[in-house]
Amino acid sequence: MAVNEKIIEEIVNEVLKSLNSNVDNSSNFNQKKNDFTGSINFEDMGEAKKGTRKDEVVIGVAPAFGIYQNKTINNLSHDKVLRELIAGIEEEGLIARIVRVERTSDVAFIGLDAAKLSGSGIGIGLQSKGTIVIHQKDLFPLSNLELFPQAPVITLDIYRAIGKNAAKYAKGESPNPVFTINDQMARPKYQALAALLHIKETEHVNKNSKTQEIKFQL
Amino acid sequence: MKLIAGIDIGNATTETAVAKIHDERIEFISSGIVETTGIKGTIENIHGIFSSLNQALKKGKLDIKDLDLVRINEAAPVIGDVAMETITETIITESTMIGHNPSTPGGVGLGVGYTINIKNIKKLKEKKPLIVIIPKDVDFLEASSNIDKAIRSGLDIQGAIVQNDDGVLINNRISRVIPIVDEVSLIEKVHEGVKTAIEVAPVGGVVEILSNPFGIATEFSLDSQETKMIVPIARALIGNRSAVVIKTPKGDVKERKIPSGKINVLGKRRKMNIEVDEGASEIMNVLKECIPIEDIKGEPGTNAGGMLEKVRQVMANLTNNHPNSIKIQDLLAVDTFVPQKVKGGLAGEFSMENAVGIAAMVKSDKLQMQMIANELEKDIGVEVEVGGIEADMAIRGALTTPGSDTPLAILDMGAGSTDASLISRDGEIKSMHLAGAGNMVTMLINTELGLEDKDLAEDIKKYSLAKVESLFHIRHEDGSVEFFENQLDPKVFARVVILKEGNMIPIPINESLEKIKMVRKTSKERVFVTNAIRALKMVSTTGNIRDIDYVALLGGSALDFEIPQLVTNSLAQYGIVSGRANIRGIEGPRNAVATGLVLSYEEGKENE
Repeated sequence: MAVNEKIIEEIVNEVLKSLNSNVDNSSNFNQKKNDFTGSINFEDMGEAKKGTRKDEVVIGVAPAFGIYQNKTINNLSHDKVLRELIAGIEEEGLIARIVRVERTSDVAFIGLDAAKLSGSGIGIGLQSKGTIVIHQKDLFPLSNLELFPQAPVITLDIYRAIGKNAAKYAKGESPNPVFTINDQMARPKYQALAALLHIKETEHVNKNSKTQEIKFQL
Repeated sequence: MKLIAGIDIGNATTETAVAKIHDERIEFISSGIVETTGIKGTIENIHGIFSSLNQALKKGKLDIKDLDLVRINEAAPVIGDVAMETITETIITESTMIGHNPSTPGGVGLGVGYTINIKNIKKLKEKKPLIVIIPKDVDFLEASSNIDKAIRSGLDIQGAIVQNDDGVLINNRISRVIPIVDEVSLIEKVHEGVKTAIEVAPVGGVVEILSNPFGIATEFSLDSQETKMIVPIARALIGNRSAVVIKTPKGDVKERKIPSGKINVLGKRRKMNIEVDEGASEIMNVLKECIPIEDIKGEPGTNAGGMLEKVRQVMANLTNNHPNSIKIQDLLAVDTFVPQKVKGGLAGEFSMENAVGIAAMVKSDKLQMQMIANELEKDIGVEVEVGGIEADMAIRGALTTPGSDTPLAILDMGAGSTDASLISRDGEIKSMHLAGAGNMVTMLINTELGLEDKDLAEDIKKYSLAKVESLFHIRHEDGSVEFFENQLDPKVFARVVILKEGNMIPIPINESLEKIKMVRKTSKERVFVTNAIRALKMVSTTGNIRDIDYVALLGGSALDFEIPQLVTNSLAQYGIVSGRANIRGIEGPRNAVATGLVLSYEEGKENE
């Protein structure tokens, strides 16, 4: 009987621990916080830890995201982009967690770092210029589940769909890849701007920095 | 000693058997198999014959010049073709219901009230139960804060209909749990001020009140006459996780039968006709009563007519005959489902409509086998002769299976037709060709899963399935798990895949493995099990299937990983021993006719 009591105590402790850890690190919007002002407000939470919840998708943002740059190459403000991604994930019944990857500005590595921190193994990598990837923790860095290389044609609706799809992968469903437009003129039109934005982003890379957990509020 | 090659041209494959005939003894040397070129019985077959023959000769280290004789089969002049006809459609008039199944509705429960646009909610003074309509231009934060305010000010909000995919988001932000149906694309068609009921079931559940006619009657206080009218609505909502029913004065949902015409069956003894929309079992009953059949015609100017005449026309072109001389000898009708968009639906709903799939088999006077033989003889400079009847040859070949003896029945399950033959103890052979085989299974899989990709359907038919659960392991359809050393392709991650010869082909539809497996299995059952029983009844000397003791399964479809089991299983109920043949003890169910052609040479000589 003593064994049973011990087990019960252990279980209670485990549950309490996980309850406590659940309290604060999700970036889902506050239930009562309804006023959407459009202003961006990141709260640094210290070093990001690997999640234990199966129902989370981690969004990894690039070093300059929302701080030194505040809109994508398609002129979408960063808070709106994040909002759509989180909404897409929440609509599928999962929670989103946001981390800032500072050691690199490469979208694939950001996505993979996020995936490795994610309890579900699914992560999203997002650059300041809007390029985005859905990644899985076991994949090679330059491989991916879904990649959206043409940032100039990604709209808010597509970001929402990307959030939804990432959540579906986390649930073990097999979603159809998000439908995107392929614009042949995107490359000549935006190449210089994209390069500039990427260089600007790379300036803020700190190779020795640990990935930071951030809390996003609207 | 003579060197002889037997060549069998089938609907899908051309098979060769090469043998040395010593005085007493026949020594089989090698065999070959390639895909048939062109349609069986046409001059295009020559290329296939060539490569099949070469393949066999090469294996036996022989040359074409060593051959003394080539025997080709007198192919049963049958060609099967398949077609499909939808016989029902669902039409919604006056926006009576939204029965669609958004993957993520919000909230849970049942709500009944009067519809109101969220933009007008502040002006409302009257206190009555409300269902909020939220169009696309209202953001989920705005919508949820407005609903919350309304609830707090004392309004009775019962549920919400949302155009965007925002159901869960809104639900997470309001203080009371109400049912929310989202992704209603044509929300502008929902009028304001009409009484509406919304039901959302918990995850994994299905709606219970709105899928029950009396449930709807209770909520809308309908009388018995009106309750009768809403039965199709309730039926259409069965199995959905969420549903909306709107009461409009004239609203109606109909399941309409599409007139698709009559099929006229001309039997030797009696003529009958049958409406296609009566369904497959009725068609098959009529067919059974008219046996033996001389011809089958479709009513001119209808879908049924067009379908059957097309088969006739294709066959006429192949054989250079007039279409009138082509007779359709058999037909296999199978009930199936086709996903079709609901007419008048508000959210692009699909409903599974009934359809009838039909395989027809045509018999012409003769095929151009003699012509093929002549042509071949010219090309290779070896004597070519047209051997005996295909079914006889097949049974001779089947008898080389270890453990088999007369009397024996064979079931040759190919791609185009299912053939049955029976050899009695004294060597008398009776055979039968029936419509419907592998091609029809492919068609059923293709339409029931809505694939619109024949090659994919063919692969689903042939290979087993698995679900890729992580990048390092898959779960097979029987539940067993297989691990991999190396990472799998991310393209197959989280998908249902076909395990084709060491490759994984992802299936690009959103259906569970169980559903795909079920469609595959029932398609095979509906075609092959039905035909096996039908065919054996026809060849049985007494007309009773129980008088057959042994059945050997032949043909390409007998190689399938589950068809032989399905057939064996169902025949076991009649006390029949059946199993896959093993020609010459090495070939499996293949090469029966080619082997039979070589064996019958010997017999032919003896008769002389």
